[in-house]
Amino acid sequence: MKRLLTPGIWLCVAAVLFACPLFARKSRSTRIKAGAIQVGMIQSDEIKLPAEFQIALYENLIRQLGKQGFQHVYRDGDRNAIGITDLVVLHSTVRGFKAGSERARQVTTVSGATSITVHCQFSRPDGTSLLERDVNGKVRFFGGNLKATYDFAKKAARVAHENVSLPDHE
Amino acid sequence: MTKDTYMTPKRVIVFVGLVLVFAGTLISRAKAQQISRPTSVVQLTGLAGVKENAKGTLSVEKGNLHFVQGKRSSDVSATSVEDVVTGSDSQKTVGKTVGMLSMAAPYGGGRFLSLFRTKIDTLTILYRDADGGLHGAVFTMPAGTADEIKKELLANGAHATAVEDSNPAASATSSPSSQKGPKQ
Repeated sequence: MKRLLTPGIWLCVAAVLFACPLFARKSRSTRIKAGAIQVGMIQSDEIKLPAEFQIALYENLIRQLGKQGFQHVYRDGDRNAIGITDLVVLHSTVRGFKAGSERARQVTTVSGATSITVHCQFSRPDGTSLLERDVNGKVRFFGGNLKATYDFAKKAARVAHENVSLPDHE
Repeated sequence: MTKDTYMTPKRVIVFVGLVLVFAGTLISRAKAQQISRPTSVVQLTGLAGVKENAKGTLSVEKGNLHFVQGKRSSDVSATSVEDVVTGSDSQKTVGKTVGMLSMAAPYGGGRFLSLFRTKIDTLTILYRDADGGLHGAVFTMPAGTADEIKKELLANGAHATAVEDSNPAASATSSPSSQKGPKQ
């Protein structure tokens, strides 16, 4: 019995090792090819969002994209982004916002959470949509309300990292 | 003889008027100096070359928004500012480390301490760099000081979408309220 089990286990291990790179290749091939990424200003036409939240979302997003390895992150309106081939523009629209309370969070620990939901759209400059995702940011226990913007930025940058491939970013 | 020593009512009026004009000029100058006095702020995010949550002083000098942190400084031209928004918020009176340590205090002592909060002002600016790239910066400062800096910025050529400050959103920051968009 042991004689049969040992080769069987080795076969399974070999199959897994062989299959992993195949899946990885498949996922890489579906990534969006981009020459650079440009971040548009956060839009919040439907939802009234405090100005500091809007700015913090935008600035944190740019910072987190840089941390994820994107070397060419252009800001909204940057003239240097004009003419870049395969430019991907990230449009973000706020879809939901619940302003919590830091005091309530600290006193009760169960209420007062701040949450924000942002619709992220990766598109070409001509408007062709490439990928759309809803990303949320939350702060439940510790920290000020603006920490929710940091949480969103980290998640959105991760989405970009998983789906967009830049020449200098593998 | 006595007529020469006393001033006529007309002269008195002129004299008083001159004194008032002089005093008015002095007061307005003193006020102007008070406004440009550096204010202690915390730069939450946004200024180029400045770390997040950096403490420093903020003032409007020579048409620039001037932030100083120790030996480092950062300037933003007032004319490049596209929007200035002030708001109000609150923060814990008991500081970060002590506040965290106090959470371990028995009988909910830490939670009791977190009830004490001080009011602060927020100043949010939106500006463009030389390449046209959009930047934003958020500052917090003692209550009642943000409006003065905003006025100074506007006087130096900054733009604001709402000149008469009414930040409806700021109340949302300090008071809990809920707004949800359409479901997907």
